Amino acid sequence: MDVKGIQLEKFRENVWEIPKSNGMLVPGRIYISQKMLEHNLFDDEALKQVMNVAHLPGIEKYSLAMPDIHWGYGFPIGGVAATDIDDGVISPGGVGYDINCGVRLATTALTFDDVKDKLQNLITKLFQNVPTGVGASGAIKKLSRSDLKNVLNKGSVWAMEHDLGNQNDIIFTEENGTMRGADFNLVSERALERGADQLGTLGSGNHFLEIDVVDEIYDTDAANVFGLSLNQIVIQIHTGSRGLGYQVCDDFLKVLQTASKKYGFDLPDKQLACAPIKSQEGQDYLAAMQAAANFAWNNRQVIMHLAKKSFLDTFNIYESDLKFQLVYDVCHNIAKIEKHKIGDEEKELCVHRKGATRAFAPGNNQIPTKYKSVGQPVLIPGDMGRYSFVAAGTEKAMEETFGSSCHGAGRNLSRHKAMKIAKGRNISDELKEKGIIIQAKGYKTIAEEMPQAYKDVANVVDVMHNEGITKKVAKLRPVGVIKG
Amino acid sequence: MSAEYKFINHTADLAFDVSADSLEELFLEAAKAWRISVVGDISGKALSNVMLNISADSLEELLVNFLNELNFLLTTKKWLAIIFNNIVIDKTNFLFSANCTGFHVDNSIEIKEEIKSATYHQMNIVNIDNKFSTRVVFDV
Repeated sequence: MDVKGIQLEKFRENVWEIPKSNGMLVPGRIYISQKMLEHNLFDDEALKQVMNVAHLPGIEKYSLAMPDIHWGYGFPIGGVAATDIDDGVISPGGVGYDINCGVRLATTALTFDDVKDKLQNLITKLFQNVPTGVGASGAIKKLSRSDLKNVLNKGSVWAMEHDLGNQNDIIFTEENGTMRGADFNLVSERALERGADQLGTLGSGNHFLEIDVVDEIYDTDAANVFGLSLNQIVIQIHTGSRGLGYQVCDDFLKVLQTASKKYGFDLPDKQLACAPIKSQEGQDYLAAMQAAANFAWNNRQVIMHLAKKSFLDTFNIYESDLKFQLVYDVCHNIAKIEKHKIGDEEKELCVHRKGATRAFAPGNNQIPTKYKSVGQPVLIPGDMGRYSFVAAGTEKAMEETFGSSCHGAGRNLSRHKAMKIAKGRNISDELKEKGIIIQAKGYKTIAEEMPQAYKDVANVVDVMHNEGITKKVAKLRPVGVIKG
Repeated sequence: MSAEYKFINHTADLAFDVSADSLEELFLEAAKAWRISVVGDISGKALSNVMLNISADSLEELLVNFLNELNFLLTTKKWLAIIFNNIVIDKTNFLFSANCTGFHVDNSIEIKEEIKSATYHQMNIVNIDNKFSTRVVFDV
């Protein structure tokens, strides 16, 4: 198939390859349906980025893209690439500006019937307690330098030590909420300043806190293990490392641009700036990126704490009645050192997931013991008017995608176009008619983030399900949303 | 002497094409487009000065650093740059300096966009027949 001059060869029903050409070290491989490929909005720029990523020194097997692929900076969103840690590189372009942007899902003991009469009160309370919007700050008191250091070096353990989380939250967070190589000293003063008062804040754009009802269960065994049941009220939190992470990325793009020249890398895109993983520049970026990742885990942890408080206050119940349990916290913008099989050999690789979610298989020693029988929960939010999905990782993901899957829907309309379409309509009322209460800082966000602005996440999830990379476990239906 | 910017349609983020008769004007016009994006067409009494001294390894990096500096001053220091005086751009050593006047923003001014960073994506500063131009894409 020819997509605007780029040749794609069909490998399987939903898997397409871009053969090696013009300096590509490996082929590109894209998980996507023919229908999605042929869609007139499909983005040829993103396909070029898949080809560009294939130039990274030390890249193994394929430059991969998940079905929610769209163009990003350096890597496409939905891009996955693994590089050999001995002769490969690490690139901030494979992580993104919002380091450890991710999603967490928590369950409650409440059902929709329990909450429906007080849903508006709950949303109002959440909106009061969780700062949202551009530059949001002040969820908790401004961190002292010593606290900030511990947030960055210790990860979620810091939140637990400050009664903002518990041991269970640590167990059910990817990496247990702490990347151990993090180094506060490698984070610039400017990044610290941008992040100091932003812990526990959602931010703006596509970040959200959502109250959902478990609407459909596809895999009863896995749903039971994850603690999901029909009509149950659950919450999703989607945000990342806020200004601190943006600044770490920006700082190290400069460092690694210089490094790329120093090591003689000929890269097709400045945003793919990189350094050998074992070089000083590579190690410094890795440690600073890990510190920002730890900030993000604390951020989602604090928001979850504020959400729990909002539930307890609104329904005037005890914690033992609410049974607020973290199912899992996944990051979808990250680079991690992991072991994967290349042929018959197990190798240590730096796996870049940019808008892609880890999807480890049953039995993997990196996932919580509780989930070893069914695989890692994979959280895939959709738009605020339709649904989100919970899936589980598989052995095929380990074999084909370095244990990775999709992360969301991807935009269908530009924000400008969404605003135009929303003109003269009241999106909040439209959502209300569908049983969804939304509260946001301003109408602009609601209009820009309207359901129509996003692709149907079900199509994305189905590609990964049909290809056996992740299997669907449950569908979540939104009933309340707060946004920036 | 003329300079202009034009926002272009972008699926996820914010982008504009900018052109000007000089490099200095190109930077100022890009700053204007940034300001329109984040706070709209507002003006305020310029009450305080900040001296900007920015360095880089290329003209594109200089423009990225300049825009990111303005963004940092607004989002973290809550200070909005309005007027730039005594602008000097050293095109050989990639240095920018200007005496910048502006004011502290309070809650009455809505910051409309959270710009993570100016990016290098499709940025390429060219000079054709003494007309400088480039595209600027912000990650929002």
